[in-house]
Amino acid sequence: MTGEYKIGIDVGGTFTDFLLTSKDGSSEIYKVLSTPDDPSVGLMNGLEEMAKGKNVSLKDFIKKVKTVVHGTTVTTNAVLTRQGAKTGLLTTKGLRDALEMRRGIREEQYNNRYTNVEPLVPRYLRYPVEERLDYKGDILTELKKSDVLDAAEWFKKEGIEAVAICFMNSFANDINESKAAEIIKEKLGSGFNESGVYLTISSEFLPSIRFYDRISTTVLNSYVGPILRSYLTSLTKKLKDAGFEGVLLIMQSNGGVVSPQVAMDKAAVTLLSGPAAGPVAGVEYTSIQDYDDCLTIDMGGTSFDAALIKDKTPLVTTEGEINRLRLALPMLGIVTIGAGGGSIGWVDEGGLLRMGPQSAGSKPGPACYDLGGELPTCTDADLVLGYLDKDFFAGGKIPLNYDRAEKAIKEKIAGPLGMNVIEAASGMYHVINVNMASGVREVSVKRGHDPREFPLVVAGGAGPVHACMIALELEIPVMIIPKESSIFCAAGMLMSDLKHNFVRTYSTLLNKIDKQKFRSLFHEMKREATELLTSEHIPKESIQYVYSLDMRYVKQYHEVNVEVTREELEKEDIESVVLKFHPEHNRLYGYSLKEEGTSIELINLRLLSIGKTEKPKFRQEEYDKEDSSKALKKKRKVYLPLKKAFEEVPVYNGHQLRFGNKIFGPAIIEQVNTTTFITPEYNVICDKYGSYTMYLKAKEGEINKKIVGI
Amino acid sequence: MKIDKILVSVFQRRFKSITEEMSITLTKTTRSPILCEAKDFVTGLYDGKGKMLEQTENLPILSFSLGPVCEYIVEYFGDEIYPGDIIFHNDVFSMGNQNNDVAVYKPIFYKDKLLAWSAAKGHQADIGGPVAGGYNPKATEVWQETLRIPPVKVYERGKLRKDVWDLIFANIRFDIVAADMRAQIGSCVVGERGVLKLAEKYGLEVFESHKEHLFDSTEKMMRAEIKTIPNGVYEGESTVYYDGRTPGSKYKIRVKITVKDEEITFDYSDTDPQTDGFVNGTYTSSASATLLTFLQMVNPDMPHNDGMVRPVKIVIPEGTILNAKYPAATTFGNHLCPPNADAIIRALSQAIPERVTAGWNQLLCYLMSGYDPRKKDSYVDIGFLGLKGGSGATSGVDGYDHIGMIDASGGVLDQDYEMFEQQTPHLLLKHEYWPDSAGAGQWRGGLGVETKFKIGGENTKVVTFGDGDVEPPFGLFEGKRATLNKIELRYPDGKVYKATSKDLIENVSSGTILFQQAGGGGGYGSPYLRDPANVGKEVKNGIISLKQAKKDYGVIINPETLEVNIEETKKLRKKLK
Repeated sequence: MTGEYKIGIDVGGTFTDFLLTSKDGSSEIYKVLSTPDDPSVGLMNGLEEMAKGKNVSLKDFIKKVKTVVHGTTVTTNAVLTRQGAKTGLLTTKGLRDALEMRRGIREEQYNNRYTNVEPLVPRYLRYPVEERLDYKGDILTELKKSDVLDAAEWFKKEGIEAVAICFMNSFANDINESKAAEIIKEKLGSGFNESGVYLTISSEFLPSIRFYDRISTTVLNSYVGPILRSYLTSLTKKLKDAGFEGVLLIMQSNGGVVSPQVAMDKAAVTLLSGPAAGPVAGVEYTSIQDYDDCLTIDMGGTSFDAALIKDKTPLVTTEGEINRLRLALPMLGIVTIGAGGGSIGWVDEGGLLRMGPQSAGSKPGPACYDLGGELPTCTDADLVLGYLDKDFFAGGKIPLNYDRAEKAIKEKIAGPLGMNVIEAASGMYHVINVNMASGVREVSVKRGHDPREFPLVVAGGAGPVHACMIALELEIPVMIIPKESSIFCAAGMLMSDLKHNFVRTYSTLLNKIDKQKFRSLFHEMKREATELLTSEHIPKESIQYVYSLDMRYVKQYHEVNVEVTREELEKEDIESVVLKFHPEHNRLYGYSLKEEGTSIELINLRLLSIGKTEKPKFRQEEYDKEDSSKALKKKRKVYLPLKKAFEEVPVYNGHQLRFGNKIFGPAIIEQVNTTTFITPEYNVICDKYGSYTMYLKAKEGEINKKIVGI
Repeated sequence: MKIDKILVSVFQRRFKSITEEMSITLTKTTRSPILCEAKDFVTGLYDGKGKMLEQTENLPILSFSLGPVCEYIVEYFGDEIYPGDIIFHNDVFSMGNQNNDVAVYKPIFYKDKLLAWSAAKGHQADIGGPVAGGYNPKATEVWQETLRIPPVKVYERGKLRKDVWDLIFANIRFDIVAADMRAQIGSCVVGERGVLKLAEKYGLEVFESHKEHLFDSTEKMMRAEIKTIPNGVYEGESTVYYDGRTPGSKYKIRVKITVKDEEITFDYSDTDPQTDGFVNGTYTSSASATLLTFLQMVNPDMPHNDGMVRPVKIVIPEGTILNAKYPAATTFGNHLCPPNADAIIRALSQAIPERVTAGWNQLLCYLMSGYDPRKKDSYVDIGFLGLKGGSGATSGVDGYDHIGMIDASGGVLDQDYEMFEQQTPHLLLKHEYWPDSAGAGQWRGGLGVETKFKIGGENTKVVTFGDGDVEPPFGLFEGKRATLNKIELRYPDGKVYKATSKDLIENVSSGTILFQQAGGGGGYGSPYLRDPANVGKEVKNGIISLKQAKKDYGVIINPETLEVNIEETKKLRKKLK
């Protein structure tokens, strides 16, 4: 099928962002207000606006759309606001409370007013069933069918919309769960697209060891399943009614996309998918400049996301959590902290300045929005320090009130700390930058990577105002600010491939492995993967497989994931797998037990299948020149943090910068949706795609060569 | 030197995140489930003199001896501390808190000056002595407990002292302990890297002056907190039951708390003398208990550093059960925290009723060792999932269910069930909330749990330690008391053995069922004030019985529909009042 356009759509808390790309390589950014009650309304509004922009009817426009990639927050929000489906759980008798206990953790140890999270399934809907497998998966007690029948009866009476089944040790054998599922399907109606209950079976959905992780993840899937099912059903219909004949794809938290049909079955893969396209975009923007690794940061209104990419692959974790509930699906290891333009500054009892995690949000918003907010926020500090122009915020759409900002900072920060407003504002700026830098440390240093070796890709409306100081704190020499920085995730969605994760637990000493079993487990996953991607219309030649093993030293409790090649698998080359494990353990944790000859234990086999999609091509510009004076707008006084003084610096119109143009810090670059603050330590050069590279002055020669080629 | 107040905040944040990094390293690399699953360890940073800079306290009871031991080490080695040294320590008679909690210290030098220390301390699977795992209820002196390690260098100037290392580990049963101690060294290296980066960035002078300012600012914060407590003298007491030697024995912990403006003193002078068994505390284990209990009554956001402890004075005379004299046995010392906390809570409930909780479930725990024929290897395991009862309720908030003893406050986690069955030869039959175990109240206590599993394997030995099987956790302000702890062994031949709270049971045959109840926490406020709808909800969830709803809460519920009968409830409550 041919088509003119591809559209990436990212639904945020305040705005829904769109990136529209055309066959000819041009691209446009659209933003409309989000409609939280039914996000598809905002989505359709955006499409209308695009059609208007092209001077055609929605129908004529949408006919030309080849692909829509959509990141949805309906599942995430359902968990955060507890609006998910009424869910029933079948679990092994005697272990009814594991879901609610969460292994007995209280995250705030010294806080006696801190309460446990309400379980997604209350106790009276957690139905114990007599059955039992041992640790190897051998049957100790057959499934008592009458228990399941009773449960079905009870669930029907209670008006259950979704059911989760998770039995002890079922990762090793699905027999009892499958039998129970048959009964539930028969009694309560089955199917994901029909009117029956939504059903998740743990041994099918996440057949890996760790009971709490599996039960929590299985329940999450059932809890959000019906909501995603009805949202996607209605969205697909709306698009079809409007004349859409292209392909709709949905963003997942693993950084891949998925067809709506598969997403409905595995709804939990969309949980926390909000920021997941960011790292994918990071890969693309840095590959253009021949980098294999990078860090991405995205600073919005209330939160800050940081991620790390190594060898063009975003870091993946299986230790995710949503609202203190375990979500053990492989997902991009994005660290989110409460730091954004709306973060509120406050002084604690000991007289120390703190920033966030409370945020003023968009209502009442920062004091300078003049919408009734009286607490000083990061945006207020940015305004007082001169980084933001009160008349050009959001291109002038939101006028900022300087006096309100100054008053809030004076009353809440400067007064109590006995300093002047500027000192207080620069303190706020510094503290929030340190907070964000520690978020970056969490994805890098804490996982054994040195952030200085990575270019920092900066995104989000507020990101480029803070980037230089975050980079200085971490001693990062190079930053890249993409042209699409303000709608980074929408851009990333268009660059995402279809991705599906599979796992099987096979617990054995590596040197005692049953090669036949090892091979057949991988074959089984591969067959499933191929079937799934074929159902999503991916031709076989566009499918890639990534194999990996979770291993640990014998008696350790936590595994290290090591990727293995197809050759190693085919040859069953255990020796070379061992040789990869030791250095990886050493890199992560500072030692290995290679010398001691400690045995290695295998726990999980993993397969990632990737269905390659066609990516949009962005237009390249011709080289202009180094001189950027034509884009010079005016001069303005801004606060230089290391000098601790105001200085007059040039302000450039970002929309007029061309390939090769250079700007020497200190300076400001303004675009409609972003402001970039360049401290005196850095310079900027504009590349052929319209993105900025910001670099320490000493790196001039090296960067110039990279961007311009001379 | 001019203080940049903002930089003080930066230092505090960095210290915290460094200790967190150290903690993650330990979680991921240690092998004993006590460390990597239950997180029974603490990581910290100290200044050149040994004063606490910041800690990550997974298990608070271990935490507040690291500073005092660090000060002891600084004095002990004097000018013979060198870059690259690694020092081990567990000795309870040089400020250690418990023999099993073995610490690693690493001095951090910057430009030839001893700038700071990083330290990691964890509960080891074994540290030698007559009983695997270190708990010997029959011990009467320290030499019958475990290997004593006063400060000793295992590395000097970066070089392993192989003879010393071998001497230590020749005395320890399990080889995973050596690997876990290596993981602790790794954690200290991670801490050192972080501190050095900070020093290189800001320079020595700035580091020192801002650190002092941080201490002062935290002290100010603690003083402000103390000031909110009315001046006065408040007394409280509690009872320690059974010293492991004389059935029926009892000891009193008595605390006199004096609040004067911005300072607080905890005086234990009237506490009973030490026992002749192992039920004795050390100064640091008891003072840690005092601090962690008090910290739950102040602002939880307070940074943890030396400034925090300055306005707090703790007097525990030597020779009392909370500070036993050399060479007493003391392995039980950490577990005197729950009764110690009870005494403090009772005292302060008179001063700050809104900020104290009712009594918490006290620890009663088993440690099991044996041989696993599936793996042809021995194992040792502490029953974390079974030991965690409920916390006491407080004003406006119910107690926390299945949180465990107050000295961990939810920092110690259950083993995952499936991992438990992989790593030990047992079969888990039950692990669920124990209905009706919580003390009733306007705010109910946290629920306890019931655990049942079938013991497998050979040469099984069960050690029990703890308390809470004689006196249930107390309620406050008309709240009701909760339930008792129990561990019993149901042998295949039908005999049932109820373990004492300090017991050693050998040759437990395969097929024996271990049954354990960890009780709930005490209630707060009159149960007749509890919202009947809430009681109804909990009856529906099966954690309160119809009988308890009526008896303790005065709530009448229709047994068929489980609806609350509002009229009848009103009548009954009126009558009961």
